[in-house]
Amino acid sequence: MGLRTYIVTRILLTIPTLLLLLTTVFLIMRVLPGDPVALHFEKKATPEQMEQMRHLLGLDKPLWEQYIDYLWGLVDVGYFLAHGYPNLGKSMQVTSEDVGGQIFSAFPATLELAIYSMILASVIGILLGVVASKSYNSVLDHLIRGSGTVAYAVPVFFLGIVLQLIFGVYLHWLPTGLRINPSVEPPATITGLYTIDSLLEGNIIKLFESFKALALPSLTLGIVLSGIFIRLTRMNMLETLRFDFVAAARARGLKEGTVTYGYALRNAFLPILTMMGLQFAMLLGGAILTETTFSWPGLGRYIVTRINFRDYTAIQGAVVMFGLFVALVSLAVDILYAYFDPRIRL
Amino acid sequence: MPERVEIAIAVLVLIGILVSSGTMYYTATVMSNVSTVSTDLSTLTESVGNLTDVVSDLATITGNLVQSVTGVNASIADLKARLAEIEASLAVRETLIVGTTDSVELTLDPAQAYDYFGWCIMQQIGSTLISVKPGSATGADFVPELATSWNSSADSKIWDFTLRQGVKLSDGTPLTANTVKYSFDRTIELIPSIPEGAPATGNLGYDLIFNRTEVLSTYKVRFYLNFAFSPFLGILSCRASGIVEPKYAPIAQVNYTAGNARASTPLASVGPYVLARWERVGARDIEIRLDANPNYWNLASGYPKLKHIIFKFYPDAATLRLAIEAGDVDMAFRHISPTDVLDLQNNPNLRVWWGSGAQIQYLCFQTKRAPFNDTRVRVAVAAALNRPDVTETVFLGLAKPLYSIIPPGMMGHTEAFKKLGDANYTYTLNLLAQAGYNAANPLKFQLWYESSGHYPSSPDQALLYKEALTDPALGGVIQVDLKSADWASYKKNRDDEIMDAFLYGWYPDYVDPDDYAFLYWAGWLHINYSNATQVALFNQARATTDTALRTQLYAQIDAMAVQQCSVVPLWVSGAWAVTKPSVYGIYLDITQDMRYWLISK
Repeated sequence: MGLRTYIVTRILLTIPTLLLLLTTVFLIMRVLPGDPVALHFEKKATPEQMEQMRHLLGLDKPLWEQYIDYLWGLVDVGYFLAHGYPNLGKSMQVTSEDVGGQIFSAFPATLELAIYSMILASVIGILLGVVASKSYNSVLDHLIRGSGTVAYAVPVFFLGIVLQLIFGVYLHWLPTGLRINPSVEPPATITGLYTIDSLLEGNIIKLFESFKALALPSLTLGIVLSGIFIRLTRMNMLETLRFDFVAAARARGLKEGTVTYGYALRNAFLPILTMMGLQFAMLLGGAILTETTFSWPGLGRYIVTRINFRDYTAIQGAVVMFGLFVALVSLAVDILYAYFDPRIRL
Repeated sequence: MPERVEIAIAVLVLIGILVSSGTMYYTATVMSNVSTVSTDLSTLTESVGNLTDVVSDLATITGNLVQSVTGVNASIADLKARLAEIEASLAVRETLIVGTTDSVELTLDPAQAYDYFGWCIMQQIGSTLISVKPGSATGADFVPELATSWNSSADSKIWDFTLRQGVKLSDGTPLTANTVKYSFDRTIELIPSIPEGAPATGNLGYDLIFNRTEVLSTYKVRFYLNFAFSPFLGILSCRASGIVEPKYAPIAQVNYTAGNARASTPLASVGPYVLARWERVGARDIEIRLDANPNYWNLASGYPKLKHIIFKFYPDAATLRLAIEAGDVDMAFRHISPTDVLDLQNNPNLRVWWGSGAQIQYLCFQTKRAPFNDTRVRVAVAAALNRPDVTETVFLGLAKPLYSIIPPGMMGHTEAFKKLGDANYTYTLNLLAQAGYNAANPLKFQLWYESSGHYPSSPDQALLYKEALTDPALGGVIQVDLKSADWASYKKNRDDEIMDAFLYGWYPDYVDPDDYAFLYWAGWLHINYSNATQVALFNQARATTDTALRTQLYAQIDAMAVQQCSVVPLWVSGAWAVTKPSVYGIYLDITQDMRYWLISK
């Protein structure tokens, strides 16, 4: 089938997957024992206040009506356009705040960290993987494989603290946490990504400080995740380099670089792409340990604090959004996959 | 020749001579003039030459002057650039960046806020009628703020306050007695709808204390109390008594409004700072920025010293320590762990400030069921505890053993619980034997502690308490099962009364023994303990202003508490802050308040 048909088919198939996910989350939050309102208030509120909370959250309605409201909130385009986020209900802790607003205010920090971490992880992992495959069974190959294993095995918070000590405390080169130097005012919010917003604002200092703040957390995550990409790239490249078309390319007198990166890596890239998608989707859920280590105000820290406050609507909203991110990223990976490998569309 | 001709010729010759003479004279004159002119011309030429030289010199001078002016301009430009650098550096020095692990819990509304950090911010941006003098050792040195003087009736049930004149709200209207009345009326009216708020019954009990507020005149306000309440000044100095601006303080609660710092607090902007920016993500603070308030009622004092305070929030003590060590922040306050602060003391690039504390921790017993429905068992366990071991091992000496529910420095503090001693195993064994416990029939109970970091070093403490209670010297008569829960679950467990014994803590709302002594029987602890005699002593103490009598009454309460051991005081913390060496003016006193307007760089 053509690419367009494939894309439409994949989108249509994603819808029932999403519906299943949303229904599962809805049921779990309501089937689990315990009244979320009573648990939240911890018996401090009067019955009238608890009833008021139930009414505010729609928990006094029949289950089927709650389900319709729940699904409608997610697809209500008018609400989305008016607020900039879907209707995920009100926070139980601060009832005047929308859960959607809270999640979408924390999400840009996570997205920014995920993007730059994934870039670093991919570049480091793929490059080293290719080098390892090219120098198969040499000292360099063993060194790179070992480094990849160590990188993936080292706890992310430990690596983060070591980098903070070296570059922050001892060398004073980079900040140890936060999204921007405290003495620099953050850029005006347009996308929520400080690097992009600084560029749009035309403020080089803010751009520089944003990158400085991003350096350590994205390097930490990037190094840890690169371990996967090193091994995956090496494995796939070793296999691909044995294929006849590679020998044929060399025989035609193409430069080794072209053969490696233009031919072999392109063919070996698809499984790596799948892994990139999976890892990116996981990062979008919030790298809790990294965000805590670097005081990064993202979704990971948000979810942890919501759990501590027994804010069930916020927890539900976060789980829903995380599921949506994973579904969307998977869809994007599938489409890219089909673009790179036309055989997939058959 | 005829004579006439000779005469004519003579005349002509004469004429010719005359003409010639004249001509010659004229010529001579002309020549002379010419000569003069030549001379003059020469002179002129010379002068012109000189002038040319002068002009040339002038040109040279002008050229030099131009160069000098250019040089001066360059110097001026340099000076300007340097001045800008100095100004920039001054601007940076005029800003204090504070790192903290705290966060505003809910709002900055005096009717609701009941957390340390919320009160801290409220103190910087708002004002109360009176406050405690910085550096106070007792917390009872009250100084004027929005009120300049006060007095009370003989029975201490009626209090009159004269307000400071000239204090303006943000819209330019004067802060008057009506503003004060509105603030207190609103706070009390909101109590039923905000049961968890600071002024609520069960917390500070404003609705029980205040009868009504009356405006006597534009700048005089009167409080009628339901009963004589000697800590009244302490209550008035706490953040729950912050004066609000009616325009931003409707009777409905004001909550955080994203992107609008002013609308996020109802407090009147008459404090040293204004809330310029308040960024929260998911109900956790990301940044709070305070700017010097041009409307501050005490600008003449020279405060605030710094123009901007920026708060940055870190998830835990470890990340905060890294931030202050790396120089990312100028000051780290709440919380740096005892281990870290002692380590940082040796860092030449940092300065540690020490102060007295009033945070206490205590052990509570559930008295409604076995084993702790037996007083002997409670006293036995209390006597076996080893406070110095905990304060030295866990807090490295930065906390002190506490032998009264009232911390040292406060009126009414005693050393009552020293009567039981520490690790007093002989006494413990005797009492347990009387209660029927021995090696064959050991005392078994669960000791609970909070595990999500709400209290410092709870797991370490609990471990040491268990070690003390299961010391070999006790011969296995006590068996302790350690249990933990995160803060939200811990409070629920407390309310559900499922914890046999549990560790709990307390910060002062106001610095007065009245805010501590009631902890022995506090209803919200759900320990099901009551003692009418202690309550009567307590009520008597709060109803009198006689300090000596109050001291005596609190001592009696303590003495009874030792006999009953419903709640056993454990330790009182110190206070500390870590800053760069350039930071000055930090007061860490018994109020636990950090007055940022006193700080300079």
